[in-house]
Amino acid sequence: MRTVSVAAAALLAGMMTSVSGGALAQERTVKITGFGAKSGVVRVFGVNSEAAMKAAAEEINKAGGVTLGDDAKAKLSVEFLDDRCNAEEGISVIRRIASSDAFVAVGPTCSNVAESLFGILQKKVGDASDSGLQFPVFADVAAKGGLAAISEWAFRNVPSELEMYKSLFAWLKREHPNLKTIYGGVEKDFAHSNATYGVMKKQAEENGFQLLGTGEWLLNDTNFSTQVREMRRANPEIVAISAHPFTTCGVLREMDRQGVKPKLLIGLTSSSSIETLQGCAKQAEGIIIPTSFAPVTAEAKTAAENVSKQGGSMDLHSAAAYEIMFILKDVIESQKIMAKPDTVQADRNKMRQGLAALKETKGLLGTVGRTNDREAIKPYLYVYAKDGSWQVLHKPSS
Amino acid sequence: MDLLDLIDAAQSVADGLLFGSTYALLGIGFTLIFGVMHKINLSYAAASIGAAYGSLLLLSGFTAAPAVIVFMAAALCGGVIGALVYFIGFKFIPVANPLATLMSTVGLLLLIDEIIVHTTEGVPLAYPALYSDVVVRLGQFMLRGDLMFVFVLGCACMVLFLLLLYRTRLGIATRAVSQQPIASQLCGISILQVNVLTFVVTGMLGGIAGAMSGAAIGMLSPLLAQPLTVKGLIVTVIGGLGSIPGAIIAGLIVGALESLFQFLRGVTERDLYIMMLLFAFLVFRPGGIFAKAPGRD
Amino acid sequence: MDFYLGLAQVIGVHTLLGLSAYCVLLTGQVSLAQAAFFAVGAYVAAILTVIFKWHLFAALGVSAVVSGLTACAVGFPALRVKGLMLVVATLAFGEAVRLFFFNFTYQIQAGELKIGPHGAEGFRQIRYFPEHGWSTFDVLMFIWLMVAIVMACLWWLDQSRAGAVMRAVGEDEVAAHSSGINVTAVKVLAMTIGGVIAGIGGGIFAHYTTHIEHVQFGVILATFAIAYPILGGLSNVFGTLLAVIFIQGFLIEGLRFLGDWRNLLFGALIVLAMNLRPRGFLDAGGVASLKRMLFAGKESSGA
Repeated sequence: MRTVSVAAAALLAGMMTSVSGGALAQERTVKITGFGAKSGVVRVFGVNSEAAMKAAAEEINKAGGVTLGDDAKAKLSVEFLDDRCNAEEGISVIRRIASSDAFVAVGPTCSNVAESLFGILQKKVGDASDSGLQFPVFADVAAKGGLAAISEWAFRNVPSELEMYKSLFAWLKREHPNLKTIYGGVEKDFAHSNATYGVMKKQAEENGFQLLGTGEWLLNDTNFSTQVREMRRANPEIVAISAHPFTTCGVLREMDRQGVKPKLLIGLTSSSSIETLQGCAKQAEGIIIPTSFAPVTAEAKTAAENVSKQGGSMDLHSAAAYEIMFILKDVIESQKIMAKPDTVQADRNKMRQGLAALKETKGLLGTVGRTNDREAIKPYLYVYAKDGSWQVLHKPSS
Repeated sequence: MDLLDLIDAAQSVADGLLFGSTYALLGIGFTLIFGVMHKINLSYAAASIGAAYGSLLLLSGFTAAPAVIVFMAAALCGGVIGALVYFIGFKFIPVANPLATLMSTVGLLLLIDEIIVHTTEGVPLAYPALYSDVVVRLGQFMLRGDLMFVFVLGCACMVLFLLLLYRTRLGIATRAVSQQPIASQLCGISILQVNVLTFVVTGMLGGIAGAMSGAAIGMLSPLLAQPLTVKGLIVTVIGGLGSIPGAIIAGLIVGALESLFQFLRGVTERDLYIMMLLFAFLVFRPGGIFAKAPGRD
Repeated sequence: MDFYLGLAQVIGVHTLLGLSAYCVLLTGQVSLAQAAFFAVGAYVAAILTVIFKWHLFAALGVSAVVSGLTACAVGFPALRVKGLMLVVATLAFGEAVRLFFFNFTYQIQAGELKIGPHGAEGFRQIRYFPEHGWSTFDVLMFIWLMVAIVMACLWWLDQSRAGAVMRAVGEDEVAAHSSGINVTAVKVLAMTIGGVIAGIGGGIFAHYTTHIEHVQFGVILATFAIAYPILGGLSNVFGTLLAVIFIQGFLIEGLRFLGDWRNLLFGALIVLAMNLRPRGFLDAGGVASLKRMLFAGKESSGA
């Protein structure tokens, strides 16, 4: 057994050095740690978030960096950890970050990871009987509804899909009064798609659309003939699909084959990325998706260029990560965060208070409102696929 | 309305049968490796998808290569990957440790999947399909041209493969090794050579199966590796381990049943029933469809 | 520090998962149903503590029993087959259980919130540990207490006649049968013990991740369950522990400094390990030389 324990000790020692590796440099730097999925099929989300955070940090540093509580100037640096979209690993990652001098973490990608790690945070601030972790986490991607309500240490800069689809269906009713019937499609075993489909369905019905039926499939299904056949029979005027690009494309192809040609197509927010266009640009032509990012303003355009320079692409998810960096800068300055090893817990408390006190933040598309349950109300617009790229269809003036 | 339901059921079965040809090809690969090595290669489906990706990479220089070339490139990649899998995951592990090879192929499965993810960022890629715009219609009934093409190609591969196995020296040697490894060695057959060739040939078959899946779906995604592995295993076992005709029939049956249950019970219960059916089938008919003797391992 | 305590928790829970497969592997059977028993344990324990407000210990006891009974019930039919047939049969069973939880909704109203498992959206807010003021260290000690008890029991079992019988079945079924051993009973017993251990592990898993959903208990977890004992070697329970430390501690957390290479190395290093140590890290030969070393040192009599 001795060799085992020696090996274990060596292992622990190895990991120890990798945690406390960030040595104090002469120039003050503040490290912001992001985390999310950088392996598996969702890798692209992590890659984009990391690139967005780095691009934003570079912007901030170019403008002189961030002013700390003791009036010293500091540069921002970004580190990004992979959680493989696995809840246990996500918890390990957040504990690792919380064991360092970090006062906030940005992530995660996957809603199932967010569920678990928001669960281990303290539920109510100041509740001494609750031994949960006291560490602010700011989510950029995890999109399942209502996640931040799990803990008062959890914040999100994720668009509210409820608001987006509410407005979209109201707009459809106004713009296309002749369209009455709708058919839904949902990726049943993916929590985010499933929850969002509930939102779509409710909003469609509230706006007087008649739901003819719902096609259901699984995340990695490849054959959709049965579902699309029922859709064809129903002959709907609108088809609304709540699924990620892989199955969205599969269904759109099958619709094309079976000759299902609805007058309007609606997609899931997360499908408004390049993935859909790479997979099936021809079939996706015309699909309308509400999104909280499009390079429509000059600022958004430069941001998108900076992110692609860092090796990622800017979409509604990575745009959130980009904005978060600027929000963090503002909070560091307004709350006078010291970012010193001996002020760690105080900094975390300040960070949490600062984030919770925000009533609105600056976003790439305009002002972002903050709700009492730590969620964002982001401006959004509708995009549609045209000739292999996303074009802006309409910008609701909210 | 009853008639319509019946037509729908028939249509679902037909769609599933056509789609099942990809499962059948994968099943053949699994079963053949099992026949020769008496070991299971869990990385096979992932390697097949990897080969399909490889063909895209190989032909990325050319704009719009004809689909036939794509399929051939996939077969080529599949052969190369097959040989690599043999040398990395099988060659150096003693025969008496089936658990070790089981694990090494799991490792390879994870490795191949992760390599795909790293080269493509996990983003689905469009895959060229032949006859994707052809749809044969008979009243309400319709058959997909691309799937029929895949089906025909799959059948052709199977025939070629059976010819190879029963009419060539390599095939005879392969079967000899699978039945009596020591005796065949004494007869001067090189086991190493046969093993490598088996992996290359099944790898090529897998490459074609991967390309066929890509063509039938119109896209490639690393998401495919896990379901195809599970389907391939199921097909191998239902067909009876080592039985090629069994694997073909089982592949078609699994495809058809999946589609039929989708039609009858909806998506949330579809797989639940299939799995329970499978469990019952395995337990009460452990030799597979074409069982020779009960209790074969 | 919190990080290492958390990591040690993960290692503890995965050790339980690995030991549940270890038990079954001793009789020569490869079961991919362990993740299903783990899921049963997780859901049962979580429902008991969250909805019925039970004490954790009682909930874990019940989850172990339910999970053990499930394993016993599935063991009878499943163990008629062996080898690859059993692998696929248990895989099918495991998937069926996962899909059951995919369809399983049982919620009650608690204040303004609904709590309980909710189909594809999962079961959130299983916060027994933080709500009862357990610190990370307390949870860690509790998990490792369970691990120590389970390991001690299995160690004792291994040394006893029962262990010899199990190994006999694993080595040569026909010979074991000829010497009057009831092979089916032994296999079902091993499966049941495995189910009990997985039930405890799953119950703890639900509480330290605070959220469970069906996707967590799929083929991947089932593969990990058998990977631990196979990588570690079947000569004794410490092999499994060693393999869990290797995978969770080294491959997943220890290699983090390698960035993107970590994920690529994950599969590659498993392949390499199997090539170098086909009988696992701790095989019979390794244990013998280890014993010699310990005897020479004449201290520490193993844990």
